[in-house]
This record gives sequence, C-alpha cells and structure tokens, in this order.
Amino acid sequence: MQVFFSIAVDALAYGMVLFVISIGLSVTMGLMRVVNLAHGAFAMIGGYIASYAARDLGLAYGFAVILAVVGTIIIAIPLERFLYRRIYGAPELTQVLMTIGITFCVIGIANYVFGPTLKTIPLPAELQGPVNLGFRSIAAHKIFAIGCGIAVALGLWYLIERTSFGVKLRASVDNTAMAAALGVRTKIVYAASFALAVGLAAFGGVIGAELLPVEPYYALRYMVTFLVVVSVGGAGSIPGALIACLLLGAIDTTGRYLVPEYGEFFFYLAVIAIVWIFPRGLLGRAK
Amino acid sequence: MKKLILAAAAAVLISGAAYADVIKIGVVGPISGPFAIQGKNFKAGIDAYIATHGDKIGEDTIEILYRDVPQADPAQAKALAQELVVKEGVQYLAGFYFTPDAMAVTPLLQQANVPLVVMNAATSAIVTKSPYVVRTSFTTWQTSAPMAKIARERGIEKAITVVSDYGPGVDAENAFKSTFEKEGGSVVESIRMPLSTNDFSPVMQRVRNSGAQAVFAFLPSGPTTLGFVKAYNENGLKDAGIQFLAPGDLTQESDLPAIGDSAVGILTTFHYSLAHDSPENRAFVEAAQKAIGNPAELSFPSVGAYDGMHVIYKMIEATGGEQDAQKAVDAVKGLSWESPRGPVSIDPETRHITQNIYLREVAKRDDGTYYNKEIKTFEKQPDPGLAAAK
Amino acid sequence: MSVTEVSNDITDAFPLRRGWQRDLIGVGIIIIAAIAGYFLFPNNLALLTRIIAILLLVLSLDLVTGYCGVATLGHAALFGAGAYAAGIAAVTFGMTEPLSMVAIGALAGAVAGLVSGVVILRGHGLAQLVLSIAVIHLFHEAANKASAYTGGSDGLSGIAPDPILGLFAFDLWGRTAYVFGILLLVIIFAVLRILVRSPFGMLCRGIRQDPVRVSAMGASVKASLIKMYVISGAVAGVGGAFNAVSTQVVGLDSLSFTNSAEALVMLVLGGTGSLYGAFVGTIVFVWFEDIVSAANPFHWLTIVGALLIAVVLFAPKGLYGTAVTLVERYGRGRK
Repeated sequence: MQVFFSIAVDALAYGMVLFVISIGLSVTMGLMRVVNLAHGAFAMIGGYIASYAARDLGLAYGFAVILAVVGTIIIAIPLERFLYRRIYGAPELTQVLMTIGITFCVIGIANYVFGPTLKTIPLPAELQGPVNLGFRSIAAHKIFAIGCGIAVALGLWYLIERTSFGVKLRASVDNTAMAAALGVRTKIVYAASFALAVGLAAFGGVIGAELLPVEPYYALRYMVTFLVVVSVGGAGSIPGALIACLLLGAIDTTGRYLVPEYGEFFFYLAVIAIVWIFPRGLLGRAK
Repeated sequence: MKKLILAAAAAVLISGAAYADVIKIGVVGPISGPFAIQGKNFKAGIDAYIATHGDKIGEDTIEILYRDVPQADPAQAKALAQELVVKEGVQYLAGFYFTPDAMAVTPLLQQANVPLVVMNAATSAIVTKSPYVVRTSFTTWQTSAPMAKIARERGIEKAITVVSDYGPGVDAENAFKSTFEKEGGSVVESIRMPLSTNDFSPVMQRVRNSGAQAVFAFLPSGPTTLGFVKAYNENGLKDAGIQFLAPGDLTQESDLPAIGDSAVGILTTFHYSLAHDSPENRAFVEAAQKAIGNPAELSFPSVGAYDGMHVIYKMIEATGGEQDAQKAVDAVKGLSWESPRGPVSIDPETRHITQNIYLREVAKRDDGTYYNKEIKTFEKQPDPGLAAAK
Repeated sequence: MSVTEVSNDITDAFPLRRGWQRDLIGVGIIIIAAIAGYFLFPNNLALLTRIIAILLLVLSLDLVTGYCGVATLGHAALFGAGAYAAGIAAVTFGMTEPLSMVAIGALAGAVAGLVSGVVILRGHGLAQLVLSIAVIHLFHEAANKASAYTGGSDGLSGIAPDPILGLFAFDLWGRTAYVFGILLLVIIFAVLRILVRSPFGMLCRGIRQDPVRVSAMGASVKASLIKMYVISGAVAGVGGAFNAVSTQVVGLDSLSFTNSAEALVMLVLGGTGSLYGAFVGTIVFVWFEDIVSAANPFHWLTIVGALLIAVVLFAPKGLYGTAVTLVERYGRGRK
C-alpha cells in the first residue's frame, strides 16, 4: 500500500510538471494547427531568462518567473509576425521544417550567449528541501509544481471556454474567413494565442527546471516527450492533455519503479496501446 | 587516369613522411552538439600543451586538424578518420570521446600506418582492437573499482548500484559489484535505468526501500546528473544516511556550479581533479583555462588530451617525423612522466595509462565555488577491466 | 492535417509521355555525377559513400511520405534493421559475402517495414507521428538491450566483408565501397521510378490525395499502404546494409530518432513525392553540413537552422519542387 501511495505521489508530481510545460504546445497544435517543434526552445528561453534574473541579478524567484514569461513573449512576437504567420495552414511537413529550423537557431544562439554548461534557477528557501508526508518525503518544489499545474489548467479552461476571447479563438480556428467576416480580428487573435502558448512554455520551462535542467540542447532533448504527451491527450483539449499527462506520468513512474530496466519499453508500448485505441488522442476533437 | 589518381594519393601518404616539415594530427571529437563542451576540453588540453611546449619538434611543425562527430556515430567517425588519413595525410589520429567511434576507427590503423591516441573513450576493450591504439584517459573500470574498496573500508556491508543502461553504465556496475563482493560486501540490488530518465524519484524510493547503506551510481556527465543528485537529497536519502558513491563523471567540474550545493559530501573516485595540488597541475590549469576561454567549462577530458599530446610528441621525437606507426607505439610503451593528474605511465602490455586514482569529496571553497577535494590516493592503478573480461 | 500539397503538381505538370525520357536523363545524370565525384574528389570518397547510404534512406522515406502521405519520424528503424541484420550476419554467423549481406539487410528492412507499417498506419496526422516516434524508440531500446548481438551502445564492430565477388576488396580509399554504392543506387533508383509510375504507384498517390475515393473504387487502402511500406523497408534495409558493409560498423545512432528526423528534414528540404527531391535534399544537406561544420563547427547549427527557415520562406515546395515550378512558369511564359 505504501508503495502504491509512493508511486502515486511521484506520478502526480511528474505528470503535473509535464502538463505545465506541454499545455502551451497543445494550444499551438490543437487550436492553431501548427506543429510547433520549437515549443521546447521557448521553454528553454524562459529558463535562461529566469536563471539569469535569479542567479546573476539576484532577483526574487517570483519576479524571475514573471520576467521569464514576459521576456519570452517579447522575443516570440517578431518570430510570430515574420515566421509563424507564414506557416499557418501550411502542410504539416513545411511546419516541421520551419520550426526545426527555428529550434536549431535558438540552440545555436543559446550556446553562444550562455555557453554549454547547465544553468540552474535558485529556488526560494520555502521551495527547497524535502517535505515530510508521513509515509515518505517529497521535494517542496514538486508540490509547488502540482499547484501551478492545477492553476494553469483551471485558468486556461476558463479562458477558452468561458471568455469572449476564447469564443473568438475557437471561431477563428474553425473558420478563419467566416470569423473575419463577422468582425473578429483573426490576426490579432492568432498573435494573442501564440503569445499565450509561448508564455505557458516559458512558465513551464521555469517551473520544470528542477526536473528538466536548462542547457542549450533542452529544446531538442525533450521535444519528443512534449509531442507525445500532447498528441496522446488529443491536441487542443485541455482536459485531454491533463489526463494524458497524469496517465503517462503514472505509467512512466510505475515502469521506472517496478521494472527500471525496461522502463523505456513500458512507456512506449503504453503510448502505442493508447493511440491504437484512441487514434485521435484521448479527448481529441474530430476534424 | 585512375593510375594517376592512385599515384597522387599514394604520394600524399608517402610525402607526409619523407620530407614534409608539417606533421598533421587529426583530432575527432564532439565539437558541436550536446557534448560540445567535451570537444572544447579536448581543444583546450591540446592548445595548452602546444602553448607550453611549442609547436615544433626538432625540424617539424605540428598542425592539428579537428573533425566533428557531435554524438556517438561510428559510421561518421570512420568516414572522417578515413578522410583525414587519405586526403589530409595525417600521421596521427587522436581524440575520440565516445567508445563506438574509437572502435570504428581501429580497423583502419594497420593499413593506414597511423597510431590512434584515445583521449577519452573509456571502454576497456578498445586497446585490444588494434596494436596501434594508446589510451591516455581512463576506463570506467579503472575509476569505479577503487570505490568498492572505499565502501568496505568505511564499513558498508550492503550497497545498491544504480546506473544508466548503456555500455559505460554496465561497466561501472560490474566493476563495483565484482570488487565489492570480492572485498566481502554484498550488492543487494542492481538497477539499470534508461538513459532518457528525467524523474529519478521512483528510483530513489527503491534505493531507500532496498535497505542498502550506500548507493553506487553512474550516469554520463551532463544534464541528468543534476536531477539525479537533487532527487537523492529531496527524497531524504541524504538525511537517512545512505552514502552516495560514484565515479567522478558525476561531479565533473563543469557541472559543479549547477549541482554544487546538493553535491556537497558526495564521494567520488576519479583519475583527475582540477584541484589536484601540484606545480604541474597549476601550470596546466592556468594554460588550459586561458585556452578554453570560460574557465568554468574546463573538465576532465582536457587532461586526457594534454597527456595525449605528450604521448604524440614523444612518438614524433622517436620516429624523427617518419611515418612509422609500429615504431611510434613501441617508443611510448613503458613511457612514464609527471602528468597534471600525478605520476602516470603507459603499460607496455595494454598500452593503457597506469595512473593514480583519487578518492574525492565535493567541497565548497571560501569564495563560494565548488571543487573535488582529493582525500585519498590509490597509487599506480592499472585497468582491471581487461583482466575481468578475460 | 495531412501531408498533401507539398508537391502535388510537380509530377503532374509533366505529361506521362515525357516521364520515361526524364527518367533516362535522371539515371544518366546520376551516373555522370558519380563518375565526376570519383575523379573530382578522389580523397572524399568516404563522405560520398556515406551520402549514398543516407540517400537510400531518404529515397525509401519518400516512398511512404511523398507518395503515400504518411508522416513518420521513425523511418530509421527500417534502415537500422537492415544495418544490424547485415552486421550480425557477418559477425555472429560469419556471412561476410557483401551481396548476401545486402540481401539480408533488404529482407530485415522489409520485415521491419511490415511491423512499423502495421503500427504507424493505425493513426492519422499527429497520432501517426507519435506512433512512429514510439516505434523508433522501441527499436532503439531493443538494440540496446540485445547487446550480446548488437554490441549495445559500444556499437557492433568487427564486420569484415569479403571482397565483392571475390575480386574487389574494400580499400582504405573507399573506392570499392563507392562504386558498389553507386551501382546499388542506380539499380534501386531505376526500379523505384518504374514502381512509382506503375498502376500500384498511381494507386498510392491516389490514396494520398483522397483515401475515401480510392476505397470507394474498391481498392484496399490499408493493404496498398502496407505493401508500399514493405517495399520502402527493403530499400532502407539495403541502405543500412550498405552502410554496414562500407563502414564495417553499426552504431545505435542508425536506429535513432535523430537519424529519422534528419532524413525527414532532408526529404522536405529537397521536395517530396518525386524521388529527385530526395537526391537534391540529401546532397545539399550533407554537403552543407560538411562545409559549414568544417569551417565553423561551433556555429554550424545556427546556420543550418537559418537555411531551413529560408527554404520554407523562399522555396516552400522544397528545393527541387520549387525549381521545377519555376522552370514550368518560365516555359509557359514563352509559349
């Protein structure tokens, strides 16, 4: 029983970290229909900014997080304007080529500016060290990440399902021309949701930095993980992404606890099984 | 036409030996990509050696040609080595961070009449693949086995091993396990985890439940070591008094600023610490830090490269600049010298480096930086890996 | 989301009648380029030989991606299967005859194609990409685990192929390997051109454009795609086996996600659905990588990234596809 709870706690924490980092990708891929392989690159940029702000400038953690989100969005705006706008609605492979190109460039630049060494984001004292849960201890920052995951999930769900921006976004995605004819300024809606996705990526990059440390190859190293999580959940579905993250987190954690030698098999066989049963992802929208 | 080309190509090879004043050395390593920092260390070690010893040996001038293999890719490594030999006419091949890349090149050496000086790749068997291979780095067996003795000395009866599931990880596991059991300890469990593991919390829970007094770990140097060391602390293993043991790959100097605080007190065994206290090392570190640009990026491959250059210089001296791989390799068999890491020699049998292995502890300096503090020396360690394989 | 339209009208633009001529010219150009390469770069044959092996992988990828519209990031599984099969045959079972090694590679590639085809074709769009990623990771992990046969992460070394037909030994300069590779390439290219213009090839192209209509016509979509996957696997397997024969080693990288993704990038760079695009993309990418990484290894990734972005912006159909379109437009303008 104790083993079960122990795995469950780890699974929840890992799943939530995955969720915070990948949910932005679910927005770009599901709602904006862009296979954005550069998602990890934006998460990494966020991580670098936060690291620079907190470690080198000595700013408070909270402030560093805000700076990372805002800074990454500012960097992303010209990219959206000049590069991404060209590939909205383009064939999937063209998008792959473009976003891999962007990823390569970001990696090269990060390597040049920050060097190839690992960068850490110092945590405030409250988030450091273990917290005792009675039957075991867990890192304080993981509890924080779980909280952030829940907040992001609720906030996003509200934004997309309940606000007028959400309505405009869904309208623009489903039928751009019709939405434009009805007076929705689709370009602005697209730019805003792109900024939202990038901001979430940066936020996730910072929150998840304890598990996925920031270094130049971050952008490629975890690309597959993000892609898998989002697709299993069904791109564009926030509850889907949440379920997928928790499920895959649980499978991964259980596998690594019970059969670490075959952890990789366990995980990818599970992915195949899920996609086999739900070819559009767990809660994917039919097109 | 074909004959002409053949003759031209052959002439390049021969002329390289006969009257050219420039001796070319081809260095293959990860210059770009996720392991670029290790390639930079190769370059820093080589540059440091040339800066302190000059680029001339007698009449001849040294020229270094770098070729990039970003990740382990034996086919690419072989193609590049082939090109270095055939097109550039290099007399020496050196470098090689990854084992498969070095293995791929060994079949070329005989026909090309070129010695290979391995500056990092740490699987024992490489030296057996060709009589022209000399290694100046270390093997995972060499650096891991002494740790088992330390563990026993410190009264540890039961240990658990946790390694990344690939060649070097398996080597480390075997080295520790066989030595530890020979010394009378018992390994209660051996966990192998996929290289792609990000979240080490489940593994740490298993370590905790295993009832071992110490955990011996091996992961490749780089990003994952950070998460691993942190998970060790955060899951309360440190507080529970479970001793963390590892070869020095886990606490390489370029990762220390990041893992620093969580790593304090970790025991590692390794062949080289940047903090080694000797005049040779101080001179080397100064020259290498200058060569690499950012001093924080300097790490252990630089010393393998530095000593590799020493061996190559001795080879060139012995052959007088002639291309003669057998003579060159024979000249360095049994060679001994004072390296920045301490006294070393080339074992005439295995052509692998015999060196001191140090027990180190991660410690914090007064200025807030971290270093690997040497606290015990195992003198003149050969490579136990080859004997174990027999 | 589907992978259509990248090059819908490249081949359609040319009347069928001229197709045969064009293919003969294509084969001619390959042979001339090969001979030119041999004499112009006699000391770079190792690199050229590597290009041939990669080219076979990219060609086989074009069969499923360009002609059938299957998006996959796991195609190296087929290549790696061929490479390991040939390598294991040589090292463990002593079958060092190069031609039979290539045949074994083709067979193993075809089997791997069948397995991954069955899995990957289950999904569509994104799900398909993810299935292909899962497949390549499973293959990679399996090879890592079976280290008794594959050498694991240390790589499979010690492959020593016999001289071809007992006459031509593999030499330090890589001349034998190069000529052998060119012969394989020309034969496979000719066969593939015939294949893609056959009724079966047309059927596959039809499936890419409208699977529903094709199945309404009474053809089995799934069976055709799997058949194409098996053929593609055989081609990739030949590439892998050739790589094992020419370099005498096989590493885990041959079964990696990176290798698959690079192949896809090369294909899209050149242009999908014409086989010629695969040539252009592979040669440009590898050559570019070689030049830039030798000139400035510390920044080559940035430059390659910029190249990819530039291609999407200025040559959206890939280098070959866009060139064909330009030529067409010019030709039409003159009429």
